[in-house]
Amino acid sequence: MQKDLENKFLSDFEKNQNIAHKICRLYTTNRDAHNDLFQEITIQLWNNYPKFRGDSKFSTWMYRVALNTAISLYRKSTRTIKTQDISDVAFKIKSNDYDDTEERQLKALYAAVRKLNDIDKALIFLYLEDKPYKEISEALGISSVNARVKMNRAKEKLKNILNP
Amino acid sequence: MDVLDSYKKAWENQPDEVRKFSALEIYKMTQANSSSIVKWIFIISILEFVLLNSLYFFVDTGKAMEEYERLGLSNFVLYSQIAAYTILFYFLVMFYLNYKRISVIDSTSKLMTKILKTRKTVRNYVLFNLTYIAMVMLTVTTATVKTDLDVLNTKELLFVILATLIATTLILGVFWLFYQLLYGILLRKLNRNYKELAKLETTN
Repeated sequence: MQKDLENKFLSDFEKNQNIAHKICRLYTTNRDAHNDLFQEITIQLWNNYPKFRGDSKFSTWMYRVALNTAISLYRKSTRTIKTQDISDVAFKIKSNDYDDTEERQLKALYAAVRKLNDIDKALIFLYLEDKPYKEISEALGISSVNARVKMNRAKEKLKNILNP
Repeated sequence: MDVLDSYKKAWENQPDEVRKFSALEIYKMTQANSSSIVKWIFIISILEFVLLNSLYFFVDTGKAMEEYERLGLSNFVLYSQIAAYTILFYFLVMFYLNYKRISVIDSTSKLMTKILKTRKTVRNYVLFNLTYIAMVMLTVTTATVKTDLDVLNTKELLFVILATLIATTLILGVFWLFYQLLYGILLRKLNRNYKELAKLETTN
C-alpha cells in the first residue's frame, strides 16, 4: 500500500517537477539554494501526499504546497546572496531556429521578478502560469477583489523594473 | 497590447529545466529531514522544556527543601510547583495542537497565521517560565530577609535585597533577549511576508 502510494507520488511529481523548478528559480539566486528549496518542497509534498485526495489536479495542489514552502516555511533568506546570476538559470541548449528575443525576454523577466517581494513574486508567478483569480485568491487566502488590486500593483512594479 | 503580454509569451514558451531530478533522486529527497521553520520552532521548544526542567538536577533538592522549611516556605513551594507543572502541561498540549494544525495545504495567509500562533504559544511559555523563576527568587529573598532579620545588620540586608534584584533582572533579561533574538532571526522573513499580505487586506 505504502509502496503504491510512493510510486504514484514519484511518477506524479517527476512529471510535474518543472513547476517546482520555476518557483525555485524565482525564490533563490544560486544553484545550492535552488536544490535546497527543491528538496524542502519535495519533503512537504511527500509528507502531505496521503492527504491529497485527487479532487483537484496534482499540479494545482502542487502550486499551493510549493509556494507555501517558498514563502512561509523555507528558512534560508535569499537576501544574503547578492549575486543575480541569471546565467545559472538552466535552460535547454537552443536549437537553430530558437528565437533569441524570447530568450532575452525570459532572462529579463526572471531578473525582474526576483526583485519583487515574496508575495508579489507569488502573484506574478501565478499570473504568468495563467491561473484564474479564483485560484490565486484561494491559494493566498485573500479576497478576489484584493487579489485583483494587488495583482495590478505587482504588475505595475514589474513593468517599472522591466522598462525603467 | 499590454507590455507584459510578450513577456508572458516568453514565459509560456520557456523550455523545461535541464537538470531535472530522476524518480530515484526525488525518492532520496523524500527521505531527508525537513528544515522548515515550523520544524525549528518545534525543536527549540522541546529543547527549552528539557533544558529548563533539567535545571532541577543541579539543585540538591533535599538541602533546598530543608532551607525552604526553615524559611516556612514548604507550602508555597509545593503549591507553586503543582501550579507550575499544570500550566506547563497545558502549554505542552497547546503547543502540540498548534503544531499539528499547521498544514502546508492551507492558504498562505492561514498558514502564516497558524505558524505565528504557534510561535506566540512558545513565547508565552517562555514568559511564564521567566515569571515563575522571578516569583520564586523574590519570595525566597523576602522570606530570608524576614527570617534572618535579627542576624543581619542594615548594610547586609540592603546588600541581599539589591543583589537579588540585580541578579533576577539580569538573568531574566539575558534569557528574554536571547529568545527575542532567536525568534527574530528565525521568523524575520515570515513576519515580513505576513505584513505584506496583511497590508493588502487593510488598504482596501
